[in-house]
Formats: sequence, C-alpha cells, structure tokens
Amino acid sequence: MATTYRRTPTKAELRRQRMEELVNYPLDWLEERSGLVGGVRYFLFRNVPSDVNWMQTLGSAALTAFLVQAITGVILAMYYTPSASTDPATGKPVAWESIVNITDHVTMGWLVRGMHKWGASVFIILMFLHMGRVFLFGAYKYPRELNWIVGVLILVMGMMEGFTGYLLPWDQTAYWASVVGINLNGTAPFLGPWLAQFLRGGQEIGGETLTRFYSLHMLVIPAAIIGLITLHLYLVIRLGVTSPPWSKEAAGMEPEEEEPVTARPGLTRPVPRTAGGTAMQAEPGGRD
Amino acid sequence: MAAIPKEKPSRIDEARAQFARYKADVKARGKPFYPYAMFHDTIMSLVVVCVIIGLAAMWKWSAWGPGHDPTHKGLLGPEVDPPADPGTTSFVPRPDWYFYFLFYLLRIFKWPESVFLGTIGVPTIALILLIGLPFLDRRRERRLSARPVAMVAAVLTVLSMAVLTWKGATANEALASEVIADVPHWVQVENLPSNALPGAKLFATAGCTACHTYAGAGGSNLGAPDLTDIGTRNLGIDFQIRHLQCPSCVNPGSPMPHFASLGNERLHQLAVFLEASKGAH
Repeated sequence: MATTYRRTPTKAELRRQRMEELVNYPLDWLEERSGLVGGVRYFLFRNVPSDVNWMQTLGSAALTAFLVQAITGVILAMYYTPSASTDPATGKPVAWESIVNITDHVTMGWLVRGMHKWGASVFIILMFLHMGRVFLFGAYKYPRELNWIVGVLILVMGMMEGFTGYLLPWDQTAYWASVVGINLNGTAPFLGPWLAQFLRGGQEIGGETLTRFYSLHMLVIPAAIIGLITLHLYLVIRLGVTSPPWSKEAAGMEPEEEEPVTARPGLTRPVPRTAGGTAMQAEPGGRD
Repeated sequence: MAAIPKEKPSRIDEARAQFARYKADVKARGKPFYPYAMFHDTIMSLVVVCVIIGLAAMWKWSAWGPGHDPTHKGLLGPEVDPPADPGTTSFVPRPDWYFYFLFYLLRIFKWPESVFLGTIGVPTIALILLIGLPFLDRRRERRLSARPVAMVAAVLTVLSMAVLTWKGATANEALASEVIADVPHWVQVENLPSNALPGAKLFATAGCTACHTYAGAGGSNLGAPDLTDIGTRNLGIDFQIRHLQCPSCVNPGSPMPHFASLGNERLHQLAVFLEASKGAH
C-alpha cells in the first residue's frame, strides 16, 4: 500500500516508498498467488468475544503439548530401532538397548525422551481439562456439535498413541501392559479376536507386534490426529469461541436479558459494553 | 422490527437467531485474537512446555541412581524396566495411568461371563454417550445453574473416573513370595483335600497369582480369569496339564506363558489343585 502524496515527493520520501514496496513484495507475491496472507491475517485479527477466559487457553495448550510430542517424536525416531531380536553381543533386545542408548548416551537424549514420555501425560491431561471446559461452558451446543465430536475423536486417538507408544521401549512393563491391552481388545464380540490378532501380528506378542505398533504410533495415528486437529481448528475459527456462560456481557445473549443502560443511573450499574477498553468502545452504536 | 410473530419459533430457529446475534456481537464488541487472546495462549503454552521439561528433568535427576543403573527407580519411575521377557511369571504389569480405570473395571466384572462388559461394554457405552452429548443435550441453555442434570452427570463422571483411576493405581498386587502365606487359608475356605496341598504351594510360588486371582489373593491386571472355583468347570486333570504346557494350543490366542518347563510331576500337582478348587465357602 503505497502512500499517496499531493505534492512532489522528496527524495527521502521516494526512498522510503521504494523500501516499503521492497519489503512488501514477497508478501504481495505470495498473497496474489495463494491468498495465504489474507488467511493468516483473518486468523490473527478475527474478533473473539471480549470476555474470553484463561480456561479457554487449554485448547491451544493441548495443541502445544501435541507439537512437543511431534518434534520430540521425530528426533526419537532418528535413534530408535524397533527390533525385538536379541543383540548377540549383550543378550538384550535391540529396541530396549536403543532406548537405553538414547537416554544415556545421545546428547540431550534424556531430555528428548523425557519430554516425549511426560509430554504424553500432559497432552492427555490437557485434552481432558479442555473437554471439561467445553462441557462447563456448554460450548458443544449448536452450531458446534461437530467440533465436539472431532474433539472426542482426537482424545481417543491420543489415548491410542499412548497405548501403542507404551510398548516401544520393549521392557517388562511395556510387554505385559500390551499383553493385557491386546487381551482386552480380544474380548470384544465379533471383531475382537480379529483385532487382537491384527495388533499382535500373529499368535504371540513379538517382533511383528513391535514394528506394527511402531508404524501405527508414528505414521497412522499421528496423521489422523493432525488431520483431525486441522479440522478442529478450522471449525473453531469458522464458528468462533463462546463467552463464559456466567458473563454479564456474553456474546449472543438474549436481548431481553440486557439491562437498560439509559434511565435510573442510581440503580443500574452502567455496564461498559467492552471490558479492557479496546478500540471497539469508540463505536457506541456498534450492534447492527 | 416487524410485528412479533404469534407462534413460538422452533428450537432450531431460536438457535440460529442466537448464533446470528453471537456473530454480530463478536463483530461489534469483540477484541482481535491477536494480540489479546494470543497473549494468554502464548503464556499458557510456555507454562506447558516448562512443565514438560520440568517433569523430564525431575525424572532424570531422581532416577539416575548410583552406578548409573537404568532400572533404578526414582521419584517418577525408572529410566526403563528390565528388557521384555515373555517367559517371566512374576512381573506385575502396569499400564499408563490413563488406562488404570479400564484395568480396574476388569476387577469389578467377573471373568469370563461378564468381563466383556468391563473391557468393551462400559467403555463403548461411555464413548457413545460422550460423542452423542450434543444430541442428548439440545437445549440452548449454557448457564451452569440452569443445567442441573448436566452438572450432576459431570460430577458423577469425574468422581467415578477418579475413584477407578485411584483404585487401579493403588490396587494391591501380591508378590508370589507373600502369597504362600495364604495357602492354609485356601485349604480352609476351599476345603482342599490333602493331595491338593503340593499344587497349592506350587500355585502360590510359581507366579500364577501375578495374573490370576485366587480366593481374594493375587492380581487380575492382565485380565486373566479368577481361579477360585475353576474346579467347578470340571475340565479334567488331562486338560489342565495340556493347558499348562501350552495354553495357546488348547485355547487359541491365549497370552498365558507356557509352563511345560515345570515338569510332568509338578504339572500334575497343579492340575489336581485346580480341579479341587470348587470355590470359597
């Protein structure tokens, strides 16, 4: 957006104008060809209700926990070997040894694995808290029903990540907990035995189970989660964020519940329409 | 505004009108996501990352024990447990904490008739209710005080999940060495004949109770059946021995380890004990 001048611009002004065009050029180039700049601008500068609450940061906190899992997971995959066969030199399983190697010898490996291990629990807790917040706020109601369902699916997928990831260290806890978990699946009617067989990759839990869980854990389920999160965010942006239900100035409140601000100044508290005094306050007749 | 329509607008019309009002309100007197809401989101995200790093650090510095033993237990558990060994019988399994509730459900429902209620039934119903929530609760009302049913349901759900998780976390898993002390009690409540006694002692020490419960002792975390009254099924000594030698040969898909290494004499003792177990009286 070049500035327009009424008089002949000075040399300094011309230089400034050229600089602005130079800086904006890549953005304009991108916008002209993709519309992405407008999209990001819409995402950043869209309005949210003025009374949003700290509890409403739980969703983005869960997203952050997921990103931590994604980044640390990619790093772990560079060093981990999903093999249940025994290392002839030490007599220990290869997968178990690679986990010990990551934690004890790889530079900062303990931090990456520790963050992945504990980040998983944090991710699950944040998803539960976020779901609790949405429930309290009644934010699953029209028109956000679909987004509630997407959220539940993300939670289920997250727990499946926990289930499949638990086996990967190939230690006693991992092994026996997976025996139980697969057994539980096996008790389901009709599909159960088939599902248990598929997860095990045979009659017994072994090397096939490990590679299967590894593939599910780092390819299939994460891809599903990323897709679901994208849909979740799209719906959040499209439908907007709800005000806390107890807010005196909740967006979309019934008009008859609003207190008249005009008469009886001694009795009615003149409620300012916007908390925090943003620029919106400058438009008294803002509601159309 | 035109004249007020006489008939009551339908629920969906009201919901649509409210959402249109919401959109207009947010447009007129909302605040931009950046920088206001995003500022809070950023702080919260930083807190989350710090908590994760803090947990990882606490895990490392408390678990890395003397001599750098990777299986040394710290505040938050060991770096790693001993390598997986399908042959062990004495290991007490632990799932991730968010599956404790599921594992505890297994103890409530009796194997094998109703166990599928605990493993699949209750969780599936819970999941269907959870997914169906927006369609079960179709009122527009969002205030907590005007949603008593939802609030009671929420409190009950949180309480029951918390109790199940807590019970699952603190479930007392008896060690094989402690179970042997229960043998005289078994003889008494089960009215075991004297020829079942060697098998009972073997049952207590061979690690069977790591997965099976018997007269209130042992752990059921692996989802293995309770054996208190296994004798009432009259499976026969021969079947019991064949099953102990190779469980998955007799019972396809069984995850139970093979016990052929115990030898024929001891397998026979175990089988006699199991067949004599007609339930606690």
